Amino acid sequence: MNGNYYSIDIWGLLIALAMVAIAAGISGIMRMGIGKTLLWSACRALLQLCAMGFVMAFVIKSNNPWFVLLLIAVMLVAAVQITLSRATGVPKGMAGPVLLSLVVTMLIMVSLVTELIIRPQPWYAPQLVVPLTGMLLGNTVSTLAVGLSRFFESMRERRDEVDTLLALGATAWEAARPSIVSSIRLGLLPTTASLASAGIVTVPGMMAGQVIAGGNPIDAAKYQFLILAVIAALTLLADSLIMSMVYKKCFTKDDQYQPVGQ
Amino acid sequence: MNRSLVYNLAGLRVRTVSCLKMPCYCLVIGLFPAARGVFVRVWLEIMGYLFSASNVSCTLPQGDGERVIFSDVSLDVTPGEIVDLTGPSGAGKSSLLTAFAKLNPNARGEFALQGRDCREFTVQQWRAQVAYLPQKPILMGQTVAQTIRLPWTLAIRNTSRETPTLTTRLRSFFAPAGASADILPDQRIRRMLVALGCEDIDLDRAPHDLSGGQAARVSLARTLLTEPKVLLADEVDAGLDDVNADKVATIMANAAAGGMAVIRVRHRPPDGRASRVLTLQDGRLTAASAREGGAA
Repeated sequence: MNGNYYSIDIWGLLIALAMVAIAAGISGIMRMGIGKTLLWSACRALLQLCAMGFVMAFVIKSNNPWFVLLLIAVMLVAAVQITLSRATGVPKGMAGPVLLSLVVTMLIMVSLVTELIIRPQPWYAPQLVVPLTGMLLGNTVSTLAVGLSRFFESMRERRDEVDTLLALGATAWEAARPSIVSSIRLGLLPTTASLASAGIVTVPGMMAGQVIAGGNPIDAAKYQFLILAVIAALTLLADSLIMSMVYKKCFTKDDQYQPVGQ
Repeated sequence: MNRSLVYNLAGLRVRTVSCLKMPCYCLVIGLFPAARGVFVRVWLEIMGYLFSASNVSCTLPQGDGERVIFSDVSLDVTPGEIVDLTGPSGAGKSSLLTAFAKLNPNARGEFALQGRDCREFTVQQWRAQVAYLPQKPILMGQTVAQTIRLPWTLAIRNTSRETPTLTTRLRSFFAPAGASADILPDQRIRRMLVALGCEDIDLDRAPHDLSGGQAARVSLARTLLTEPKVLLADEVDAGLDDVNADKVATIMANAAAGGMAVIRVRHRPPDGRASRVLTLQDGRLTAASAREGGAA
């Protein structure tokens, strides 16, 4: 993080907010009905990001592994809450499986990426572990939310098909498989798209940040590839994990179809 | 009727001979000839009924309480029998059939197949033997041939092949086996379709393009080719004209002559093929007429 670094003062933030306000005003005039949400979300994002900034500054300065773990735990709980609020038409009791699949993928990422590939000193280096976890969680949260919504929606649509398959002797897994496949495919679409467009259409957030902060662009590219690849692999894993845990919700213990959700 | 019964008895006798109990049976008969009558009665008691259901009930959750669709329904079916199930719509005829196939989460009851309690089977094994044919034909796959071969892509019919390695097991877990043309050759499918009056259906056609009546018959062909012991046919002939309804009925009668028991839900007038007609009304199953029709 050495080299020249351009700081943003309070006026910069106000100008950014003003731009959102103008956009919200235009949408209000055109009666698009998203102005209020836009403005509200922007204020919320500003507050959350500043809070995260202060917390991260504190954790990095304290250099205490327990604070790092605590921060990650809070992020995990928030991720579960956001996943559940974004997934529509899913039955109750999803918090456990979602938390489990997030924890598993996060542990794999931390142990593999941080401790095996980057090997920071000390091992819990907050400025590395916390942002990496955040990026992974951000991606898995949207994948899981899309995957879960799509799965239960698909099971509702395929009701007759599922019943026919069961009548022909299919197991619950065999009857649910087409829905599982389609939901995983849909959930992974943004991830594969971001892999394909990285570097040509977009300069992904992490690389952009490193370059703006004055880092070496080649180093930034390496980091970015690492993160994209790991996130792609782990979102697939998280999605498969959650599907294997929740597909039985659509069936009774006798492998009979059971409608769930609203 | 008689012909099929003799055939079935012969079929059952063949099965008993292969069984280890036969020498014991002969020994006891040799020693005590009077015991024979007891044995025959016990044999009829155990083996005589192909399928029996007792104390079947179905309750639907409704608002705060629950609504009883039917309760305490019992039915015993011998091999080769064709039982027609009639009754006003909403009486729960379909629910009864799905209960028999253990597909109905709101129903409970005791079922047995050839004297074996249904708990001795996995639900998949049970449904492969007691096959429910839904009213709505749902045809999956790109072609008619794929649609009809679908049951053989399922694990329940895929176990007897070569011993699976870890890779094949993993692969079959995530992706079902492809076309199983060696198990079910095109010829057999075509013969079945011709018998059902569908000789004009090309096996490479998309099932989506079939007419309602054709789809119903392809769906019937798919289930019949899996050779279940009991066929629970839910208004299969509803969308068919008289000629084709008769063809479907003939096919089912032939299957029954081969030892299959067929339970049909029907709304058409009696076609003379049923050995019994039962009425499900107000939660009770009663005999509408004994031995209507007689010989097919």
